[in-house]
Amino acid sequence: MKSLFKLMSVLLAVTMLLAACGTPATPEKVVETVKETVTVKETQIVEVPAQQTVVRLSGWASSPSETALLQSLLYQFSVENPDILVKYEPITGDYKQALLTSIASGTEPDIYYVDIFWWLELATNDVLLPLDDLMSASGVKREDFIPSLVDAFTYNGKLYGIAKDFNTLGMFYNKELFDKAGLDYPTDDWTWDDLKAAAAKLTDLSDPNKPVYGFCTPPDPGRFPVFVFQNGGTVMTPDFQDTTLDSEAAIGAAEFYTSFRAEKIGAIPSDLGEGWQGTLFGKGQCAMVYEGGWLIPYLRDQFPGTKYGVVMPPAGPAGEGNLIFTVAWGISANTKNPEAAWKVVNFLTSEASQKTVLESGFALPSRKSLQNSDFLKNNPNSAAIFNGSFNGAQPFFWGAVGSDVNDQMGKALERIFKENQPVADAMKQAAEAIRKAIK
Amino acid sequence: MAGSISRRKIFEAINGYLFISPWLIIFTIFSIVSLLYAVYLSFTSYNLLKPPQFWGLEGYRRVFQEELFLKKALPNTFKYVLIVVPIQTALSLVLAFAMDQKLRFRRLFRTVFYLPSVTSSVVISLIFIWIFAPQGIFNQIMGLSVNWLDDPRTAFYVIMGMNIFTTSGTLMLIFLAGLQDISPNIYEAAQIDGANGAQTFFYITIPMLRPVIFFVVTVGVIGCFQVFDQIFVMTAGGPLDSTTTITYLIYKWAFRDTTIKMGQASALAVVLTLIILAVTVFQRRIIEGSGSTAER
Repeated sequence: MKSLFKLMSVLLAVTMLLAACGTPATPEKVVETVKETVTVKETQIVEVPAQQTVVRLSGWASSPSETALLQSLLYQFSVENPDILVKYEPITGDYKQALLTSIASGTEPDIYYVDIFWWLELATNDVLLPLDDLMSASGVKREDFIPSLVDAFTYNGKLYGIAKDFNTLGMFYNKELFDKAGLDYPTDDWTWDDLKAAAAKLTDLSDPNKPVYGFCTPPDPGRFPVFVFQNGGTVMTPDFQDTTLDSEAAIGAAEFYTSFRAEKIGAIPSDLGEGWQGTLFGKGQCAMVYEGGWLIPYLRDQFPGTKYGVVMPPAGPAGEGNLIFTVAWGISANTKNPEAAWKVVNFLTSEASQKTVLESGFALPSRKSLQNSDFLKNNPNSAAIFNGSFNGAQPFFWGAVGSDVNDQMGKALERIFKENQPVADAMKQAAEAIRKAIK
Repeated sequence: MAGSISRRKIFEAINGYLFISPWLIIFTIFSIVSLLYAVYLSFTSYNLLKPPQFWGLEGYRRVFQEELFLKKALPNTFKYVLIVVPIQTALSLVLAFAMDQKLRFRRLFRTVFYLPSVTSSVVISLIFIWIFAPQGIFNQIMGLSVNWLDDPRTAFYVIMGMNIFTTSGTLMLIFLAGLQDISPNIYEAAQIDGANGAQTFFYITIPMLRPVIFFVVTVGVIGCFQVFDQIFVMTAGGPLDSTTTITYLIYKWAFRDTTIKMGQASALAVVLTLIILAVTVFQRRIIEGSGSTAER
C-alpha cells in the first residue's frame, strides 16, 4: 500500500486445457477422439498501475467448466492489459430478468451477453452501443466473422454485438441402436423419407419400462422451425410484421413433424417422463434427436459411455434448413469506458480466444478463419454442427413478439399432440394469436 | 403534573415506535412504496428500458381485451379458489377436531400433519413432480399411465391437491387453538342437557368457532387468489395455459415476454387487488350476517 505500485498477485487461476488428439486405429473405424482435462494453476505477478479502469462484465453461468474457461481468458487479458480491471459478475437464474432490471435502474454492467432472441429490443431502445466506430478504430473487419452471425446482430446498418459463439442443430444418432436395428449410419445426404423409415425400424416398444422411440419430436419452438424451412416455408415475413405459420409449407411441416408420434415411431419427452430429449438420448430411449452442440459436453459428463454420431438434419422437400442460436458480446450505451470495454470484447472474440473456446468443445467460434481448423477436422460431430450454419440456417429470431411466436408454436404442437386438434386448425389458431399480439 | 404525564406519553410513544421500527421501515420500503409505485405504473407504458410513459387507462383496457386473461387466468383463478378453499377448510376442521380428542400418539399426529406446512413450497412442488411423473410412484401404485402434470385435464387438480395438502396443516393448528379456547363448561352443560356428539359439534363447536372460521376462510381465499410459486415450479402456466392464474399472468407479462409489459402487468395486479378486496368484504357480510357471535 505504501509503495507506488500495488502488487497484485493472482493466487489461483484455473486454466482449462482440453487437448484433443485424433488417433485413427484402423482404416474402417471412425476416428475416435480422446479428450483430457488438464487443470493448470498459475501465479503471475504483474505490476498494476495506480489508476485502473474498471469494466464490469456479465453473462449467465451455464456450467462451471464454461465459467472457468471464461475466467481463464479474462485472466489472460488481465496479464496483457494491467491497466484494465475486468470484474466478472455472472448471473445465475433468470438472466434476462436480472439484466433488464439492472438496465432499468441504470446499474447494468459495461459488457454483457445479448441473446439473438431478444437483442433487438435492446438496440431499438438505444440501450446498446453500436460497435462500428470502435471496430474500425482497432482494425477489426466485419468480414472476419461468419456473415450470418454479423447479419444477425445488425440493425439499421449498425452492428450491435460480436457473436461470441454459435450453435446450429445437428441430428444426433445412437450408434448402438442403429447397429441393433441393422441400419446403416445416417449421412448428410439423408432426406425426410430416410428419417421416417429409420425411425420406424429403430422403434422398439417391447419393454414397457424402457420403450425406445426412433425419433423424438418435442413441442419445442427451437426445433420445429427447421422442418418449416426444409419445407420451403418461414415462420415470419421478412419484416417480422406478420406470421406465415398458417402457410401451406408450415402446415405441411407440422403434419410431418407430428406424424412420428401419431404413428408411434416417435415421442415427446414428457411421454417418457423427461423434460428434455437430451436426457432421453443419453438413456437410449430416443434413437435420433435434433439438438445443438451443447449436447456433446452433456453426454460426455452425464452419459460418458454413449456411442453416437452427429450429421446435419436430413433435407426436406425444399432442401436444407437449420436454426442458428447465437449469443453476442454487447456493450452498454451508458458505459463510461467504451474503449476499455471494446478492448475486452475484442480480446474475447480474437482468433486466439476463439480457438481456445472451440477446442474446449463448448461452442463454435464466430470467426471465419477457424473454419478449417484441425479441431473441426478431427471432430466430425462438432463439424456437423458448425457446417449447419452454411446450409439454409436462419437465426432463431422472430421479432418484437418473439416470445408470443414461440408460445404459440409450442402450443399449436401441444394441441396436436395432446388434444388431437387437426394440424391445419392448430397452425391457423397459432397464426391468429400471433397476429393479435403484433397489433 | 399535566406536563410530566404528556412527557411520559411522548417517551412511551417514541419507545413504541422504536420497537416496531425494524418492521416498519422494511414494510414501508418493500410494501407501501412498491405498492404505490405499482399503482402508478399501472397507468403507464413501461418496458424497463425506457422511462415509464403515462398512458392513462390503456393498460386496463388491454387487460380486459386479453383472451389469456378472460378465458384462462380469470376462470382458472376462481376455479382454484372455489375448489381449494372449501376442501382445505373442511379438512383442517376435521383434522383439528380429531386432534382435540384424547387419542393415542396425538402429539405425533399433530407434528406429522403440520410438517408439510413448514417445508418450502418449492421442495414440495419438486416432490410432487416426481410423485406424479409418468413413471412416478402414484402411477405405479394405482397402475395408471397418466401424465398428470402434462395433461391439460389433470395438471391443475394436482396443484390444487398439493396446496390442500400443504396448507391444511397450518389451518388445523389455528382451528386447534380455537377449539381449545372453548370452555369445557359449555360442553359439560350440553352433556347434562342430553346433547349427543353431533349436536354438540354443530350447535356448540361450530358457532363458537365462527370468528376462527372467518379468519381461516379469509386467509385461505387471499392465499388462493395469490397462488404462484407452485405453478411457477411445476407447470409454468402450462400445459396449454390450463394452470395459468392471474398471478402467473402478471409474472409472464412483467418478466417473460420478449417485449416487457410492466404497465399492463401492474394494471392486472391492481385488478387482482380489487377482486380480493371485493371478495373479502362480500365474505365478511355473509359470515357475519348469519348470526354473528363474538367479535374478532
